[in-house]
Amino acid sequence: MSDGRAWQGNVKARLYERVRERGYDSLTAFAEARPTASLVALAEELGPNDIAGVQVLSGLLAEAEQRKQVTRFVRGVLVRMLCQSLPDGWPAVMDDANRFRVAKALGSWSAYTPETHEKRVEQARAALRAFPPPPGWRPLGPDDELLRTLLPDEEV
Amino acid sequence: MRTRRWAVWLALTLLCTGCASLTPPPGRRTDLRYMSDGPAAPARAERPGGAGETVGSTLPREAVEPARRSALAAHLAFLGAMREVSGSTRRLSSELSRLRASYQGIAGAGNGIFVPYVEYGERQRRWIDAGLAAATRLATAASEVEDPDMQLALMRLAGPRLEAAMMGSLLLAVWFDFLDLTDNVLSRRHYGVERLYMDMARFQRMLEPAMTALSSLEPGQVEAAANDMPALVGHLTGEFDALREAVREGAENREKVLLVKESIEVLTTLSVLKFTLPALRAAAPATLGMGFMVGSGGVMMGTRVVVSAEWVEMMQRLVRAGVLSLPAVSAVVRIQAGQVMMARAHGELPRGVREALGDGPEVRGMRVTGRAGAGMAEPPEHHVLPREFREWFEKRGFTGEMDIDQFCVKLEQAHHQAIHGGGNWKLGRTWTGEWNRMVMKALRDAEVEAGRMLTRNEVLEIVAERMLEYGIPMSFIRWRGR
Repeated sequence: MSDGRAWQGNVKARLYERVRERGYDSLTAFAEARPTASLVALAEELGPNDIAGVQVLSGLLAEAEQRKQVTRFVRGVLVRMLCQSLPDGWPAVMDDANRFRVAKALGSWSAYTPETHEKRVEQARAALRAFPPPPGWRPLGPDDELLRTLLPDEEV
Repeated sequence: MRTRRWAVWLALTLLCTGCASLTPPPGRRTDLRYMSDGPAAPARAERPGGAGETVGSTLPREAVEPARRSALAAHLAFLGAMREVSGSTRRLSSELSRLRASYQGIAGAGNGIFVPYVEYGERQRRWIDAGLAAATRLATAASEVEDPDMQLALMRLAGPRLEAAMMGSLLLAVWFDFLDLTDNVLSRRHYGVERLYMDMARFQRMLEPAMTALSSLEPGQVEAAANDMPALVGHLTGEFDALREAVREGAENREKVLLVKESIEVLTTLSVLKFTLPALRAAAPATLGMGFMVGSGGVMMGTRVVVSAEWVEMMQRLVRAGVLSLPAVSAVVRIQAGQVMMARAHGELPRGVREALGDGPEVRGMRVTGRAGAGMAEPPEHHVLPREFREWFEKRGFTGEMDIDQFCVKLEQAHHQAIHGGGNWKLGRTWTGEWNRMVMKALRDAEVEAGRMLTRNEVLEIVAERMLEYGIPMSFIRWRGR
C-alpha cells in the first residue's frame, strides 16, 4: 500500500469494485460488518496494495452524507480509534501512558471529523474529559448506548 | 449495567449544563499545563513488559510480534555494528596521538611539516565520532518508540551515518598506515624528507574526495564514495607498495636493506592494507582463481576467513532492514578480502556471498523505489511534519539529527497531490483530508486531551499511525532543500 499505487487510477471505481466483489452493496455495509476494525485493516481487506485507510474513511463519509447519517459515521470512527488505542477498553488507572492512549484516540478522531461535526465532537470530547466513562468501557459499534448519549443522532 | 447508569447520568448532566456551552473544569482544558522541563516524559519508556502489547500499532496482535522481533534484531545488529566502528576509531585515535608525540619521526622531522598530515587524520576521526554519536542518538530514539515500523524508519535514518562512519574509519586506517610508514621512514632517515612530504601530499589528494563525500553524511554521496572505495583502496595499496619499494631501494647496503625490510614489514597492523598488500603481489591467476565462499566461519577466501560469521549475520540484518546498503557492505568485504585490484573488472561479489549479506528481491526492490529511474524526474519530497510548524516541533524535541527535515518521504506526484487536498479521490464533501491540516489537528487535540505537551516519541507514534492510514511509506529521507 505504501508504494503509492493506492493513489493511481480511479480510486472510487476501485473501492466500489472491491466492495461488490466481497458481496456488499455499500461500503457502509462492508464496514459495519467489521465495526471495530481499524481503517487500515478495512483498507487491507479491500485491497492490500492499492487502497488506503483514508480512502475508506472518505467513502464511508460520502455514503453517510447521502443517507444523512453523518453523526452515526462520526461515532463509528470513534469506535475504531478507541479499539485501536485501547483494546482493553477505557483505562481504570489514568497514568501517563493511559492518558496518552486516550489522547491519541480522541485527537485522531477529531482530525478525521467532518467540518459539519467539528463543534459537536469538541463538545463530546469535553464531556468525556469532564465525566470519564467507566473503566473497561469498550464500544463495539456506532449504536453503543453511551456513545449515542454522547453524540445523539440529529438527522433522524 | 454500569455503563447504562453512567449514560443516564451523563445525559442528565449534559442537559443541566446545556451541552453546547459546556464549561471545562478548571485546570484541565483551558489551562494546558505544559511541562516546563522539556518533552521528556519517562513514564512510557518505563512501562514494564511490553511483549504482549499491541497498543500503538494498527496491526493485529499476531502481526505485531514478528515485526517487533525483527525490529529488535535489527536494533541489536545496529548496536553491534556501532560498537565495532567505535572500537576501531578509538584504536586509531590513540595511535594518532602516539604519532603526534613521535619527535624522532613524524612530529619532529622537517620542523613539523608533517604534523598537518596527522591533524588531517584527527579531523577525520572527529567527524566519524560525531556521526557515530548522532547515529547513537537516533538508535536510542528508535528504541523508545513503540511502533516497530517507526523503529526501523529511525534506524534507516541513522543508516547513512553508520555507513559513512564504517567506510570513513576504514579509509582513516589506510591513512594511518601511510602516516605510520612515514613516521618509521623519517625516524630512520631512509628517505628524503622533501620527497616524502610531496608523496604524502599526493596520497592525501587521492584520499580526500572520498573522505569529504563520506563526511557529508549525505546518503547519495556516501553511497557513491562506498562504491568507489575498493578501487581507491586498491590504488592506495599500489602507492603504499611503491613507497616501500622506493624506501628499500634507497637503502645503501645489504645490512641496511635487511633492517629496513624488517622495520617496514611489521607495519600495517591496523589497516586493511595488510590484506591488500599480499594480494597485490600474488600471482594474478592464483588470486583470480581463489573464489569467495560462505562457510561456517563466515565469508572465506581459500582458507582465510575474510569476515566472521557474526559480522555477516549482523550485516545481513542491517541490509535486510534497509539500514545499510548492500554496495557499501560488499565494498567492505571486498576490501577486507584484498580483492581491490579486481574491483573495476567486476564490481560484484558472487551471488552466494551477496545473499549471505542480505541481498534479495525485496532489498533490490527497496533500492529501485528509492530512486527515480533513469531520465525520470525525481519524485517530490514531502515533509511529514509540516514545515510551517517547525517551531512547534522544535519545542517537542525535533532538533538536531531529529529535526523535521529528517522526516521527509518521497511520494509519487499523484500521491503527493492527493494528500495535499488535490486529486479526485475524496468521496465525502465535508472532510478535506489535507495531510498538514489533519496531522496538526490530531497532534494539537491530543495535547488538549493529555493536558500537556506531547513528547517527541508520542508525536512520532501518532504520526506513524496516520501515515499508515494515508499509505505513506515509513521510509524517511533527509530534506535537501529545494
